[in-house]
Amino acid sequence: MSKKVSLSPAEREELLVRCFSSVLPALTIEEIRTASSDVPGIWDSLATVTLIAVVEEEFGIQIDQERVLELHSFAAWLNYIQEEVTREA
Amino acid sequence: MKLIDALEIIKRPTKLDTRSFDVLQACGFTPLHLQTFLAAHLRLLKPDRCVSVHTGLFGDLIGNIERGKSRHFDAFVVVIEWADLDPRLSARNSGNWRADVLADVEQSIALSVQRIENAIISSNEAPVIVSMPTLPLPPIFTTAPHQACGLENKILQRLAILAFRLGEQPNVRIVNSQSLHETSPFNARFDLKSEIMAGFPYSVSHASILAEELARLAHNPAPKKGLITDLDGTLWSGIVGEDGVDGISWDLEHKTRLHGLYQQTLASLASAGVLLGVASKNSPEVVDRAFDRPDLLVSRTEVYPFEVHWSRKSGSVKRILEKWNVSADSVVFIDDSPMEVAEVSDAFPEMECIVFPAGSYHGIWDLLKYLRSVFGKSSVSADDTLRLESLRKGAEWQQIVSSSSEVSLDEFLKLAKASILFDANKSPEARALELVNKTNQFNLNGRRYNESEWNVFHSGAKAFSVLVSYEDRYGSLGKIAVMLGRVEAHKLHLESWVLSCRAFSRRIEHQCLKFLFERFGCEEIIFDYVQTVKNGPLQEFFLGLMGTPPYLGMSLSREFFATHAPALYHEVKEHSNV
Repeated sequence: MSKKVSLSPAEREELLVRCFSSVLPALTIEEIRTASSDVPGIWDSLATVTLIAVVEEEFGIQIDQERVLELHSFAAWLNYIQEEVTREA
Repeated sequence: MKLIDALEIIKRPTKLDTRSFDVLQACGFTPLHLQTFLAAHLRLLKPDRCVSVHTGLFGDLIGNIERGKSRHFDAFVVVIEWADLDPRLSARNSGNWRADVLADVEQSIALSVQRIENAIISSNEAPVIVSMPTLPLPPIFTTAPHQACGLENKILQRLAILAFRLGEQPNVRIVNSQSLHETSPFNARFDLKSEIMAGFPYSVSHASILAEELARLAHNPAPKKGLITDLDGTLWSGIVGEDGVDGISWDLEHKTRLHGLYQQTLASLASAGVLLGVASKNSPEVVDRAFDRPDLLVSRTEVYPFEVHWSRKSGSVKRILEKWNVSADSVVFIDDSPMEVAEVSDAFPEMECIVFPAGSYHGIWDLLKYLRSVFGKSSVSADDTLRLESLRKGAEWQQIVSSSSEVSLDEFLKLAKASILFDANKSPEARALELVNKTNQFNLNGRRYNESEWNVFHSGAKAFSVLVSYEDRYGSLGKIAVMLGRVEAHKLHLESWVLSCRAFSRRIEHQCLKFLFERFGCEEIIFDYVQTVKNGPLQEFFLGLMGTPPYLGMSLSREFFATHAPALYHEVKEHSNV
């Protein structure tokens, strides 16, 4: 696994949309961009665990378990990934 | 496969009328990505089926196996890990790892192993795929990690015995740990974070690789049937026409041992029923002398046919396929000349054509392993060892029959002193399933069964199955036909009927129908006929017997058969314990 530092911010966002879409297939692209873990029945703890594994594999990063609770929306995930991928790059 | 790809594969829609393929994944950990990968790999291997992977309760491997027996599954996938053998071996469990309890851990494992064996052996309907523990043992032993501990060895021995005993069961297939070592590095399998946070002990990469192995074993495709090999530069080193019979080699002395390894593998494949043919541009007399060499590791009798001349290899391959009566996609062609390989590949795009990696140690080793992977079978039956000889006899027979008039054919059939054994034992036999699933030409409808469907069919109260064996003065053809159906109110519904092509022209088909009328006391046979691309010989048989091409629901009365069937000369025997 290597960090996807070569991707532009827009490409990272596109890849994250694909990650979300694979884990939360019931959501449309528009719904993904505004998705939140507060919505019961769609984004549950199993989806979060799967999302962590998919994002770690796709972006080549290790997600800090301490910060998982902060990752309650697509926007929060995107911010976290932009921060992680560019950190120490 | 990456997790994102697996998730995308399993969310692809399937056709509404697709048959289901239900798998139980029994494990003690959270199924998570293993379930996802297993479903994805099965979807790829079975694109015509609607795959569902069902799971059970966390922490209850044996209970999950037991509960799975209450409903129908096409395959059971049992994934054992250390925590299933003793909870103290789980990283999530605050168990006692002190030195004085290690013997108790070993004893507890012994009991769990016994319970798992009992649970798996009694789940005898669907095929069972078993993965023995694939993760490293946790560091509970008192020795340094680089020193094997006595108790650790004892535990590993118990697991090895379990794998051996389960592997002896006809419906159980075990994941090969050596093969898994090659594809999934041992030190990259365990994910402690995932185990503690989610109860899933595997790294994503290990889950993907293990799931692929499990899916391949659950899918269990029919092995390829034949291998056509070149001679010069392939079966042996050297050009026999130029170097002479004594100038070719395959030994250490001439540094050509790689060809010897290839020969050994071919002989081994032949002994397991793989057809071996030769396609070589050479003089037949020279090749004949080369096969006289006593040190050749594959013998002349293991090869049929030899296509040795100076014409194109694609023509040789075509004739070999005709003699074997198999399709190109079930055959591998091997030649050291890339040009010959390209020529055959162009003529038979479905055939696997391989350039022999002469001189490459890695290349040869990989080739030998690859041949095992495409020709591998769970067990070797007596019929496997008969196949080549019966093909030879079949070819001789067809030659005689095609040059005989109808009168002399009767004489010939009389002289053959043929004997047919009908076995109406309801215990399903692996050979019968194999025949039904691989026979194309004389096949009533092309219907295929997986092991689970096969077992369900045989459990029907009115169902029957008959396995037919044949031999005559020229030799035994082994088990060559299968009939499946049910009898209701003097009507026999024939649902599957296959006859091996090497048994054609012996009136075995007629004897089969006669047996059904007599054995089951029925007045009428109703055929569940479906036309397929390849069942022309079956259509011709019905046309000859009934004067009309077959159609769905066609029936044959006992009276019509009695007045239209030709004379039959076989001695008929029955083996039955119905």
